[in-house]
Amino acid sequence: MGKHEIRMRRQRLTARGTDRFKNYGAVLKQHEEEKRMKKIVRVFTFFLLILVVIILIVIVNRWEKKAKEKKLPVTSYQLKVSASGEVNG
Amino acid sequence: MSEAEIRKEQEVIEQSKKNPKAFGEIYETYFDRIYNYLYRQTDDEELAGDLCSQTFVNALNHLGKYEFRGFPFSAWLYKIAGNEVNKHYRKNKGKKVFSIEELKVKELVEQSDEGWDEELITQVINYMNELPTDMVQVLELRFFEDKDFKEIAFILDMTESGAKMRTYRALDKLRTQFNIKVKYNG
Repeated sequence: MGKHEIRMRRQRLTARGTDRFKNYGAVLKQHEEEKRMKKIVRVFTFFLLILVVIILIVIVNRWEKKAKEKKLPVTSYQLKVSASGEVNG
Repeated sequence: MSEAEIRKEQEVIEQSKKNPKAFGEIYETYFDRIYNYLYRQTDDEELAGDLCSQTFVNALNHLGKYEFRGFPFSAWLYKIAGNEVNKHYRKNKGKKVFSIEELKVKELVEQSDEGWDEELITQVINYMNELPTDMVQVLELRFFEDKDFKEIAFILDMTESGAKMRTYRALDKLRTQFNIKVKYNG
């Protein structure tokens, strides 16, 4: 059995009956609102994306800096020992 | 719909893409048909009115993506309306309703007025209740909306042969089960 119900009706639909639902002004208004919302969402998403990219760049930079600090080169000192036994750095 | 009418309609649609106010002409032309289609699938005037408005809002929202594919613009509107109805039933988990005019059924079935009694009507309703929903949808578009199979296939997202097959099967069953003549032969 189908997932539906058939109902038989005797009266026909008339154009007058549908007139009370006809309102193009309301349709146009809703369209403008939805268009505006879509624009706002798009702009918000764009800024969010840029923010994520900036945060990622900052994180990568910091990570690179930390990695550099950990790998400090071993510095060599030249010690000069004078005849009297004094050590000069 | 003649070629000239289709061409004129396309011009209005192209205008509407730039200026939504121009879409008012399309709205006036198709409102009643789309409303009736939605009313037949909901049996609720208020709900049909809401879904009809949403159909036209969606059409306006996506008008930029619309491409002419050889069908009248109404086919696209029927498709959107069908999606709106499906969305409504999915959301509310209700049983889909098909509200069919008795007169239309009488037109479809070649039976003399005396031959029509309450029992036969009940039997036809029971028969249609047992058909798969997609078959009823095809029958509705074919006989109550007078759409051709190509258009039905586009509206219901199926192949043309699939739409034909569903119609013939339903009608054959109707002919044999009730021993009645169906006006439509092809």
